[in-house]
Amino acid sequence: MLDPVQANLEHYMDLLGTRQKLVASNIANANTPGYRTRDMDFHFEFMSRAEGGAPNIIEPEGLEGHNDGNNVSMDREARLLAENTMRFNFASSLMKSQLKMIRMSIQEGGR
Amino acid sequence: MNLFETLSVSASGMSAQRQRATALVENLANAETTRTPEGGPYRRKDVVFQSEPAHSPFSGIFQNELVSGQEQAVGVSVSEVIEDTREPDRRYIPGHPDADAKGYVAFPRINPAEDMVDLMGASRNYSANVAAMTAVKDMINRSIDLVRG
Repeated sequence: MLDPVQANLEHYMDLLGTRQKLVASNIANANTPGYRTRDMDFHFEFMSRAEGGAPNIIEPEGLEGHNDGNNVSMDREARLLAENTMRFNFASSLMKSQLKMIRMSIQEGGR
Repeated sequence: MNLFETLSVSASGMSAQRQRATALVENLANAETTRTPEGGPYRRKDVVFQSEPAHSPFSGIFQNELVSGQEQAVGVSVSEVIEDTREPDRRYIPGHPDADAKGYVAFPRINPAEDMVDLMGASRNYSANVAAMTAVKDMINRSIDLVRG
């Protein structure tokens, strides 16, 4: 990428995509016996910026389990789903304005 | 882009819940069925879910070539359809063609309330998967917008 801000944004959006995948997995498996909620420590992964390497999948604590060993909380997943989408929208808007600036410099420079 | 893989996770959830709904509706429709091709009354069906790695046909192979060490997206599938093994409900109807020597007819042991509640659960989870898919679609569209400028 072109500058550090964009590199950070790219990493941020990448992580959000991965987290959204985990949330979708949790929602799809909300009725699967024995399935445990999967998530990642978002801030840790973002700060450590282990580019290329897969983020660590953890099981969040404090979730109430059901009789069948499943501990997916639909409220939690719905919240994360909405949150991830909004964060992603925000990041992509920022990225868009960044790209716009570069495009503008190229165009204006050519005159 | 791992977002497309997420779509197949949600799709697997929708498909599994739809199969569950089919089994439940079958139960409701056959709540009074005393004759089946296998003989005896209808037996209540239910599905067993199991999680499995989600594959989207194209990106699966492409991803394997491109990136290694990617964490797996976990989808869901119906591993088996189980039939109720409980003894059928016996009702005394002497004139019935399926009645035994003592005049008892074997009816399926189906509680419509049980099936309706499960059906609501299936429907709710289906909606949740649709919501997840919509959210991911939105994210994909946003990413495509970046290219448009």
